[in-house]
Amino acid sequence: MTTQKKNPVRDLMRNPLAQILLFTAVMALLQVLSSAGLISSSFVYALGNTMIYAVIAIGFCLLLGYSGLASLGTAGFIGLGAYAAFYVIQEFGLPYTVAFLVTLAVSIVIGVVVGFISLRIEGIYLAILTLGLAEIIRNLLMVIKSTVKIDLSNVKLFGIQIGDREAYFLVLVTLAVLMWLLSNLINSPTGRAMLAMKNSTSAAQAMGISLMKYRLLAFVISTVFAAIGGLLYMMFVRNMTTATSTLLTLSTSLNILGAVIIGGAKSPWGTTFGVFIIYGIQSMFLSKIPFFVKNPAFITMVTGVLIILVVMFFPGGFAQIFAQFTGWVRTKLRKGAAA
Amino acid sequence: MAAAFLSTLCGTLLSVCITAMAAFAVTLIFKTSTTTNFAQGSIAALGCYVTAELFGAYGVPVCVGVIPGVLVGVLAGLFVDIVIFRNGRNVNAVGKQIITMGLVSIIFGAIPLIFGNPESIPFEPFFNPQKAGVSPNFIIPAFGGEIVVTRHSLICLAITVVVLGALFLLLKYSKWGLGVRATASNEFTAELMGINTHVITAVSWGIAGALGVLAAVMYAGGGTKISTSFMTTVQVNAFLAGILGGFSTFHGPVIGAVCIPVAASCVGFLANFPAFSGISRWNMVIVYVLMLIVILIRPQGLVGKPVAKKV
Repeated sequence: MTTQKKNPVRDLMRNPLAQILLFTAVMALLQVLSSAGLISSSFVYALGNTMIYAVIAIGFCLLLGYSGLASLGTAGFIGLGAYAAFYVIQEFGLPYTVAFLVTLAVSIVIGVVVGFISLRIEGIYLAILTLGLAEIIRNLLMVIKSTVKIDLSNVKLFGIQIGDREAYFLVLVTLAVLMWLLSNLINSPTGRAMLAMKNSTSAAQAMGISLMKYRLLAFVISTVFAAIGGLLYMMFVRNMTTATSTLLTLSTSLNILGAVIIGGAKSPWGTTFGVFIIYGIQSMFLSKIPFFVKNPAFITMVTGVLIILVVMFFPGGFAQIFAQFTGWVRTKLRKGAAA
Repeated sequence: MAAAFLSTLCGTLLSVCITAMAAFAVTLIFKTSTTTNFAQGSIAALGCYVTAELFGAYGVPVCVGVIPGVLVGVLAGLFVDIVIFRNGRNVNAVGKQIITMGLVSIIFGAIPLIFGNPESIPFEPFFNPQKAGVSPNFIIPAFGGEIVVTRHSLICLAITVVVLGALFLLLKYSKWGLGVRATASNEFTAELMGINTHVITAVSWGIAGALGVLAAVMYAGGGTKISTSFMTTVQVNAFLAGILGGFSTFHGPVIGAVCIPVAASCVGFLANFPAFSGISRWNMVIVYVLMLIVILIRPQGLVGKPVAKKV
């Protein structure tokens, strides 16, 4: 065994809280640079949009990667959050914190319902059933109100007027806090119980792990994250036409699932990167390249090809690619040092 | 009232046919490749675009143009299985789902690239009543009223019955059908028994693609506007029909596919009674909720057998 030299920088970077703080600092810096006029505001807007999907995806990461439960109902849960935000803030004129609590309450109830369903129906059947649930929610919301629009001019949070910039920071802070909560949960007995449940329900039960408790918990958490995503969407984008928007359709649920898979189902950072690939890369980079501006259809095709290639050759997703790459670099460095 | 009700039921004939075809295709893929094919709808749309392009640009009637369309569907299906699935490194069931999802992105990008982005695409039913100079509807007097059936839906019913009937016979009596059933029950054992599972899955993907395109052409012929995502609703209903009927048999999903549109039209028909006048807005919500309840009571589906779990 080789003795590892103490490397304070590396130790710090392995600490989840330090990673999250670094991420937050970088993202905040980008917004500040944009305010100073160094980065285009559309870039930062796309970044904020991507981070909303990241909130939803890391919740789904817990569900799929740690509990082994597949759901296609994400879009419906996003819709619940978005409509809760609309009714509380716009129709009743209540503050953001109330909207947050209402979203939390609604999504916990729905999460518990889906969790109970998951005790009876499993696997692909559960996925299609949650797809049906999302369709119910979407149709319901469409009948209730076809277009929701929030006017933020008199919405304040902690005495601060919320505008474009503040909404960005709201998204960023929410993502950071949720990421921190999630990384603590994953490394706790709860996270390990979920992993045990994913690998074998029978073995987990034999070890005294209650399937009901952890399945409900997993569904509640992922539903809450998705609903918060919907709430943030309403704060950041501010309007949605349910009938024509693809946000509440199957494609969003699939994209979130895709982001989690190509990012690496067991890694929240990988998932965030996967979201960036699926949602961010189009609006942030490809739309700047003249070739893609001329042929926007190629952008969707490139994303599709990328997804297929990653799934075909790297089942562990980008997390696996990074691990292999850093391993390769490290062996090269070690050889270089030896020579 | 009876005549009006029968008319309503006849009105759903077309969507019953389309959903049944899509549901059969989805089941075939599910059983041979253990994945849900999310690209079912977009492959169907791609084939339908080919038929529409032939009709619009070259004047090829749809009843002829459907053949190249179906061929494109077959090729797309074969491509998925032979080029993508077979070359992937230990791709699991969720991975396959994601691959079909990536395929949706590619097709959604490819369609406007190949066919442009027109506002509306001209299309006609298999048998164009305007050209032949006959009424598009059959009117049958019965029960003191009139039952209205469109020609197109009758033609589609005939096609569906023939195609699905032939497939069911093939499944039951042909070598291929035996192979499919063996592969469905256990792919590895089937391979050990000397069944070429690669050919079986490839042929299944080809058939699924063909059925999808046929359904799409029927759907578009019924007057639905063609777009890249116009088959998505059908596809979602086909999945739901699959679990409503139960994926464990082949006829279960088809029964489920009949139930969903019929239930929707029955709920819609209730709007004729004053007490339920506002119900049609809630149509799909009610149907989906009913379906959810049925599935919760019978998780194995309407005609499915409960699956014993191995520890």
